[in-house]
Amino acid sequence: MAITYGYTGKILRVDLSTGKIWTDDTLKYKDFIGGEGMAMKIMWDEVAPGTKPYDPSNKIIFGTGPLCGTGVPCSGRTNITSLLPSSPFYGISSSHMGGYFATELKYAGWDMIVIEGKASYPVWLRIEDDKVKIEDARWMWGKGIFDTQAMVASFMGKDAQVAAIGQAGENLVNLSVIRTGSSHSAGGHGGVMGSKNLKAIGVKGTGSVKIAGDRSAWAELDKLMMSIIGANNQMVVPSTPQPWAEYSDKTSRWTARKGLFWGAANPPVETGECDPHDMQSVGFRTMKAVFDLGPQAEKYTVRMGGCAHCPIRCHSQLKVPQLSKYGFDEHVSNTCMGWFSPRGVMFKGIKAFDGMNADDSAVVGTAIGAKLADDYGVWCNYGQIGRDLQYAYESGILKKVLPASEYASIPWDKLEKGDATFLVDFYERVAFKKGEFSHIADGTYWLAERWGFGEDFWNGKVYKVWSRQGFPVHHSNEAGGQVGALISCFSNRDAQNHSHMNFIGSKLPIALQKEIAGEIFGSPDALDAPADYKPMNEYKARFVKWSLCRTMLHNSLTLCNWMWPMSVSPLKERKYRGDTALEAKFYSLATGIQMSEKELDEAAARCFTLFRAITQRQMGIKDLRTAHDQTTEWVVHREKGKDGKEIPQFTPGTIAMEEKDMELGRTLVYREFGWDETTGAPTRACLEKYGLVDVANDLAARGLIPV
Amino acid sequence: MSGQTGPGAHSDVEGPAAPIVSAIRRASAEIRLVRLSALREAFPAEAVCEGGLEKLLAESGAADIRRMAGERGEVYYFSAESMTEAYALHLFRVEEHDLIKLVAETVRDESRLYPRPTDLRVFSEPPFSLSLTQVNEIMARMATQPDTVDIKTCSASNGAVYLYSDRYLVPLYAERLAEWIEVGQKENP
Repeated sequence: MAITYGYTGKILRVDLSTGKIWTDDTLKYKDFIGGEGMAMKIMWDEVAPGTKPYDPSNKIIFGTGPLCGTGVPCSGRTNITSLLPSSPFYGISSSHMGGYFATELKYAGWDMIVIEGKASYPVWLRIEDDKVKIEDARWMWGKGIFDTQAMVASFMGKDAQVAAIGQAGENLVNLSVIRTGSSHSAGGHGGVMGSKNLKAIGVKGTGSVKIAGDRSAWAELDKLMMSIIGANNQMVVPSTPQPWAEYSDKTSRWTARKGLFWGAANPPVETGECDPHDMQSVGFRTMKAVFDLGPQAEKYTVRMGGCAHCPIRCHSQLKVPQLSKYGFDEHVSNTCMGWFSPRGVMFKGIKAFDGMNADDSAVVGTAIGAKLADDYGVWCNYGQIGRDLQYAYESGILKKVLPASEYASIPWDKLEKGDATFLVDFYERVAFKKGEFSHIADGTYWLAERWGFGEDFWNGKVYKVWSRQGFPVHHSNEAGGQVGALISCFSNRDAQNHSHMNFIGSKLPIALQKEIAGEIFGSPDALDAPADYKPMNEYKARFVKWSLCRTMLHNSLTLCNWMWPMSVSPLKERKYRGDTALEAKFYSLATGIQMSEKELDEAAARCFTLFRAITQRQMGIKDLRTAHDQTTEWVVHREKGKDGKEIPQFTPGTIAMEEKDMELGRTLVYREFGWDETTGAPTRACLEKYGLVDVANDLAARGLIPV
Repeated sequence: MSGQTGPGAHSDVEGPAAPIVSAIRRASAEIRLVRLSALREAFPAEAVCEGGLEKLLAESGAADIRRMAGERGEVYYFSAESMTEAYALHLFRVEEHDLIKLVAETVRDESRLYPRPTDLRVFSEPPFSLSLTQVNEIMARMATQPDTVDIKTCSASNGAVYLYSDRYLVPLYAERLAEWIEVGQKENP
């Protein structure tokens, strides 16, 4: 095989029904970049509409991209694409995990793994460079993810990277995860692995990823990137006033400061003030434990961890001795929603319990929940599971739908009192599908159907359901007004889009951000001040398209969209500008395939349009605008002030969207993509422009292509 | 290390201004402003030259040296190589001991610039480091002083109190931003 650069050139194909293992050529898909983009192409070609997530004919694709394994900062992501069990139409979607799995897969010589079929008994997949075996996993079945990882390591050694499901995935719980490392979870597709009787994938690689370009040019580009990078979510100002900084913002994830320690390290390590010119202190910038868990987490923090080839350490690694009392290892790690999700289930708050004070209880209680969710492999639908529980409980529905004996067996008193050991019971019922209650993890759409949730749920702002598909807000209208709102309209699950957030959440002053927005999108009007939204315009539509395509690009390259793109920087001498062409520069150097920023964005638009086409084919409808792209009603309802009066949209202080303005927004985004402006469906001209003639013909044959 | 703080290398300063510039730079590296009165005491010979220390420094050619004049006649110096003007302004306001002005101006800056209301707790932390008693006194006095009538309070649903200037933020907007900072962002990680 010829040497390939960036790509390993090989896709591992596994049919678990037949036990067949074979190799496919990556580069025949190179128009789709890698990761998520290539997965879209394979799913379009090989998974027929009407297939259900747990059917053996469904496929699950573990994807890396050409930048993964090259050392580009923040390039350790694995993209997982399959049909989504929690979606009402089993919409194609992707979940993502960090850790070290993706780079190890590249070092083993594989760009992707495509798995189909169903094993006749539980198995795990063993990958050691080009040696691939399907191994018996009957002895692992029924175990949590932590034990499973240890079991795989007992065969492959502790250096192996393992992606596994817990009991939730085995039991086909719709809201389940695939996890690697101690805390890197991809939410949504754990049940698909379970349906294939696939417990885990272990991988060890001894190879490397070859780079086509000049090594010194690569080093220079890497240096540039390291000067531009900020803290987690590309926040580029510190959370406290510091001598080196012009700006500060207490909500910044750049939390490092004098007097703030990794308090449980021995000896404790001070994060200090991290001047942006000092590359050696980049890893100290994001002291995420106190950001996520509050100041009380400082004393529990051993260090910050993260993913392969990422200088931003955003996973808090804690030592919580109290955990041993509850039967858990005292070491626990997580980030963001991994911490928030158990707190969401404890919707009445975690209060002082088991003789601990309130501060310690908050950390210990959250850690109990994180441990359980990570071991059983339960997903939270981006925090929605807690709000679903809250509605079902407070509306009285739960009491009606659960048999009386089951309802009485749930320790509601603990929930009421804020005793976080409620979570032990909660996650066990969910993961083992115990009783009617376990349907809480069917996903919001299916749950609402089953338990008869009312319009007060769907339209209740407090429950944050963004779409009738049953996914919640995720950097939606609260994040850039119509920009975030429209981004969330094009997804089949919570949007997981940070391309806009990593810019507008930079914490720079608004005037500076608007200047930069003007340079990227053609007008400062692409961006409004937070919660001071102005009507829709074409520049916001460009911002939306750019964000959708950049996220697709990152999931294809694979880069971390929780850091990329680099629109801004922490450097005054750069006028706080980043470099939005960095992806294309790295791609060209890594692969030897010269692509400009515009060309790579177009390739991403091809992938996103294909995603759109798959969604349309799955739904079998012409009119995506009406059937797919709408929000729940609270999003476009006027909010009320404290005086009870309605606040008109576009008044400073309200984040409510306006219905006609959102429809205009949809039209303008469709126009940006070249989709039909009435239905939002990809046109033949658009599909042909992207070389998707077969897609156009297929959709036309089904009567789905706009005339 | 230079941070966001100006020229990366010291300009060579020679002659009588050199030790004064060095003293300012040393103080700035320790995150302190230097008062002109203190320089006069430390450098009495230079202080009595024609035009005094201020002229000497202005003509020294040291591009990093910045001057800030207080309202009661004091002048402060710092080196932009060790701290930004924004940070020096915080220190300046602390040094001036006009705590009401410190709070009011900081709040106005943030309401105008970002825009955002200012968490009251910020003033208890460095570089302000005011005591709770001081903060409460300031709040009480600001409510009655005509030159700070634009400074208003708002609160988030978790009870956190924020200040804002109604020159730049209307009440509803300030309240929404405070709610977002305290509650909303945490629910949308």
